[in-house]
Amino acid sequence: MRLWIYIVRRAALLIPVIIGVMTITFVLVSALPLQERLVSYYGPNPKVPYNPEVSCQKLGIDKPGNCRNPFYYNGLHALGLDRPIVVQWGIYIFNSLTFNWGFVGNGTGAAGQIPLAAGHPVVEVLGWFLPYTLELAALSLIIILAVALPLGNLSAVNRNRPVDQAARVMSFSGYALPQFLLGTLLLMGVVLLIVGTLGHSLYCPATPGNSPYFDFSGSWPPSNCFANNAYPSWLQKGQISSPTGFPTIDAMIHGQWLLAGDTVLRIIIPALVIAFGTIAVLLRFVRNSMLEVLNLDFVRTARAKGVAESTVVRKHAGRNSLNVTITILGLTFAGFIGGFPVIESVFNLNGVGRLLAYSVTLTPYDFGLIFGSTILFTFLVVAANIIVDVLYAYLDPRVRLG
Amino acid sequence: MLAPTQEAPHTPAPRARRPNPRIAQFRRTWYFFRRNTLAMVGLGILIFFIAVYGFAFFYPAPATQLQTYQASQGLPPSNTSIFPEICTYTVGSPAPLPSGCYPTPVGFPSVIGPTTALSPLGLGPLPMGSLTINPGNIQFYDIFDGLIKGTDWSLTIAFGVVASGALIGVVVGMVSGYFGGVVDESIMRLTDIFLSIPGLLLVIIVLAVFAPEITSIDTRVALIIGAFVVIWWPTYARVVRGQVLVVREQRFVEAAKAAGAHSGRIIRKHIMPNSIYPVFVQMSLDVGSVPLLIAAIVFIGFQIFPNQNFPEWGTIAAYSVSFNVVQSFITACQTASTCTIPWWQFLFPGLALFLFAISVNFFADGLRDALDPRLRR
Amino acid sequence: MPQRGDVILDVRDLCTYFYTYDGVVRALDGVSFKVRRGETVGMAGETGCGKSVTMFSALRLIPDPPGRTVSGKVLFQGANLLWGIESEAKMKPIGTTGRVKVTRKFRRIKAANERMMAVRGHGISMIFQEPTSAMNPLFPIYDQIGETLLLHRGTQLLEGLLSATPDAPTVRPALERLAEAVERRAGPGEIRSLAKTAAEAIGAPSAETQLYYRARDARQNPAGVLHQLTRSIHRFRISGAQRAYLRHQLGLIRSQERLKQIYMAEMRSGKLDRTAKINLRNRIRLQRWSHFYFSLWGIRGRISKPLKDELFWQTVRLLEGVQIANPVQVARGYPFELSGGMLQRVMIAMALSSEPLLLMADEPTTALDVTIQAQILDLMRDLKQRVGMGILLVTHDLAVIAEVADRVCIMYAGQIVENAAVKDLFAHPLHPYTQGLLASIPRMDQPDKRLDSIPGSVPNLISPPTGCRFHPRCAYAMEICKKSRPPMTEEGNGHHVACFLYHGTPVTE
Repeated sequence: MRLWIYIVRRAALLIPVIIGVMTITFVLVSALPLQERLVSYYGPNPKVPYNPEVSCQKLGIDKPGNCRNPFYYNGLHALGLDRPIVVQWGIYIFNSLTFNWGFVGNGTGAAGQIPLAAGHPVVEVLGWFLPYTLELAALSLIIILAVALPLGNLSAVNRNRPVDQAARVMSFSGYALPQFLLGTLLLMGVVLLIVGTLGHSLYCPATPGNSPYFDFSGSWPPSNCFANNAYPSWLQKGQISSPTGFPTIDAMIHGQWLLAGDTVLRIIIPALVIAFGTIAVLLRFVRNSMLEVLNLDFVRTARAKGVAESTVVRKHAGRNSLNVTITILGLTFAGFIGGFPVIESVFNLNGVGRLLAYSVTLTPYDFGLIFGSTILFTFLVVAANIIVDVLYAYLDPRVRLG
Repeated sequence: MLAPTQEAPHTPAPRARRPNPRIAQFRRTWYFFRRNTLAMVGLGILIFFIAVYGFAFFYPAPATQLQTYQASQGLPPSNTSIFPEICTYTVGSPAPLPSGCYPTPVGFPSVIGPTTALSPLGLGPLPMGSLTINPGNIQFYDIFDGLIKGTDWSLTIAFGVVASGALIGVVVGMVSGYFGGVVDESIMRLTDIFLSIPGLLLVIIVLAVFAPEITSIDTRVALIIGAFVVIWWPTYARVVRGQVLVVREQRFVEAAKAAGAHSGRIIRKHIMPNSIYPVFVQMSLDVGSVPLLIAAIVFIGFQIFPNQNFPEWGTIAAYSVSFNVVQSFITACQTASTCTIPWWQFLFPGLALFLFAISVNFFADGLRDALDPRLRR
Repeated sequence: MPQRGDVILDVRDLCTYFYTYDGVVRALDGVSFKVRRGETVGMAGETGCGKSVTMFSALRLIPDPPGRTVSGKVLFQGANLLWGIESEAKMKPIGTTGRVKVTRKFRRIKAANERMMAVRGHGISMIFQEPTSAMNPLFPIYDQIGETLLLHRGTQLLEGLLSATPDAPTVRPALERLAEAVERRAGPGEIRSLAKTAAEAIGAPSAETQLYYRARDARQNPAGVLHQLTRSIHRFRISGAQRAYLRHQLGLIRSQERLKQIYMAEMRSGKLDRTAKINLRNRIRLQRWSHFYFSLWGIRGRISKPLKDELFWQTVRLLEGVQIANPVQVARGYPFELSGGMLQRVMIAMALSSEPLLLMADEPTTALDVTIQAQILDLMRDLKQRVGMGILLVTHDLAVIAEVADRVCIMYAGQIVENAAVKDLFAHPLHPYTQGLLASIPRMDQPDKRLDSIPGSVPNLISPPTGCRFHPRCAYAMEICKKSRPPMTEEGNGHHVACFLYHGTPVTE
């Protein structure tokens, strides 16, 4: 019971954070030209320009001269742009909280528009892409925990010895290696390796032509890499049902186990690359907190009781340092999520990050998507923090009962 | 050894005069720092980069950084080098490759190997090769020049970000930690807000909103620094606040308060000197990640600088692995039986970023270990 | 079986150094003393004189780095616990800085630490100063005590559990009688004895405690007592899977005990028994793996339920033994929910759970207030009488020593300066330091007397005074005191002192 009170209290503390983030985006949105704001909230309407007055004929009114542009004035009023800034802020916050994040525009980039997305609500488009990001995040979190915890414990126990030094160098490389460089090199390596032997590769280079959502060529499936041939074409919008939106789970529901394996294989290397950076951060904290815990009195008590050293490290010290680790994981989650645009671009994965990366290369920028994905990422970070709090309370009876 | 010669049994033996505690602290830190091999390596590389930074300041202007060679023009006009061979090779041309060039398969854009790049100083061949900017209308970008001049921009931005971020963070953190209560609570909520937006995204949206109208390079760089400071000050504020909370409870601060010192004096004289070291550590960690973050932003295709030839490490590195480079390489490898990996394009810009980041990390880690008595030994 | 009066711990010339930035701290420099069975030895001295370090050195619990025990012997039942300690690290002085570079041989240190499993908690138990920080905050009390129980008395416990006969014909009538007693609200003594009869019929060691508490709780709702009691013995009906798990655990613990015996034999003879040890280790490793499969099989720990319950009720029984009023709640609680005095009792129960030969107590009463102190000391004295173990009590409080100790060692700057029977020492302190120490205690019977204090302060152990370490503060210091270290001499009746003022026969071990 007290656990629930604790969780609700922690979650309530995060509401100001969400509102604060939206306030920051509001400040930035307010600095945009009026037309950009209207586009991102009312969708592109190429027929009617955003002038206050347009030619009456364009509006279909059989009258000479200029008429009031209803689109312009309605948008202005709906966003409260003709009212005080506080009201505008209120409307913005309300819109953001009710997932009214505007519409995808029809900006063009190096490879054209996002054909399937233009004119759709931002939330809906982000919803198509989010499952891919979540799958990638889940896989890399598993890798992070599976590597950072044992390795951190190992290097704390063997402090300043070869294992520790190796872990330290690995950790520093994780800080210092640019993810996109590592990702691209791995991608090219894999392509070279597999292309040389099999003639095709699981991994596709990041060209817009290789993805169902970023495909403009009209030819489907694109033919130059294996992954997209096997790629679930029924996931393309409107072809076959996609009950959950998660490609792996959908493939399993449809009974296509090879396809499920394929989607997992496709995200293993990106997940490793993302994990590498976060492992670097986490490893140091696991090691240091473990070192601190190993010096505490109760560890000495456990040793004095005759408990085997491995159990001392795993049970008595490990459980205590796990709390610190989880807290740090919550804190680094923003940085972790921040790596997604890069990695998804490198490996051409259809995640939110890729969408964001694409939307900043369009001309004009697609502000609906940019701000929408920022708010979405913030939601993810906040959700991660809530999960961390719950885990923390679950693991530590002092929080749970005290 | 203590010579037990003094008469009074309980007075301590005469010792050498106590050195200044600050100097003693410095000596102690330096002793532990020196014993840490990785930290010393980091310091060495860092000093090298700072030397290059100073040198790059006087390096020729960016006009020479982009040399446009038309395939039809033959040799470039400024070629006074002792190595006359220049790889000018039109894609798909049947003519044989000039010697000194890397053999490239048909369909793969020509790249110039490391031996033939030219220096604007006329120093002769330089070891880093060129970057193909535009495969059709062949443009070469001297990686060495770009990296040298890039040191200037990259480090200016990195140091600018870290210095201003730390300045803001220290002030805010001091205020927050020292006064506590509502002030502390609200400032910490504010940092929560900033820390829960992924840094990369915040920089992008700030720049996407404000940058399009700015054309002057200096203003633009200032804006970039500003955008990075927005994401970096909360970290410093937190670090400083944590330290201040510890230091504030120490006896000497209570003593100073009891002696009637006012807040400003206590902060300046007592709290600041005792809580500033973790800020140095954090600063040296962050200075390496600013160029990395810039590189990531450029890589995803966001035009942070006015053109893609801008001499900045991140831009060069991001361009070297950008999709048309990689794509052309992969298609070449998929279609031809042999293909050359343009390794210098990935290696040197990547190495500059990597070495700088890892050196400051080594340095920061050594500094932290040397400063923190608990982690010693 | 060792008799009362046998020496169980014999510490000889123990030297423990800490290698720090400022130089080598000679925390212990040639400490020798003995603890006999059934005897309480107190160690007293100022803060930082090395009392606790002595104790930790004996069990190899010195944090390493920076500390190392460099030489000496700790003989426990004839086994040298510090066997091979000189070969575990190489020391090389760095120039004239006074610092020393220590190169450790981790393989040997690891092996030595593993050998200590045979002694830690098993033959020698410890109680620590701060009970609140000495208990793991994340695990409930029964988990922490149960861990010790399973480690050191696992065989007995599991055998008892496996041989329990809850369906024997005598069980039912015994339970009926107990239920009847509860229904007529009999006194606790009667319930206790009836529970004992029923437990004997069941044949499991902790059944008595469990039945007693179940019966006591059932008094609130006397209607279905018999039903409740019958249900409570259900856990002794062990299913096939559970029996397999318990047998497996038993095998694991038996091989661990065999390993401990081998380690003890090694430390006794000073010879490695490599093959037997490796075989055993491999067996244990294999059993650990199968343990992992067991835990997968018995998802949510269902197959380990009988063992867990047994450990819980054994914990309750142990907590009863240290006079805790509500042992069931305490056993279920977490350390942060208990007060300091309560936790100290829990610590004592934990230390005694393995029925050790020697109990080492590191300032067990310092963190407690006076009334609790008295209770804890009484408790320790009672338990010593009952269990018959030796106690090594470290404290800076001479009053505590006067209360419970049989012999006293007075330490100064890493050395023992005086060692005598407690009455002897308080009546005739010989060493000037002991005299000063006793003179600085406030006395109720001499209210007008000014307190004497020893001039000066504890010496810096990096560069300790030459000769007798006490000489700079000693009122009787002579020329010889500055030059050489005084030997330990016997001044009659087992009163040993290290001071040039006395000329008794030198003590040789």
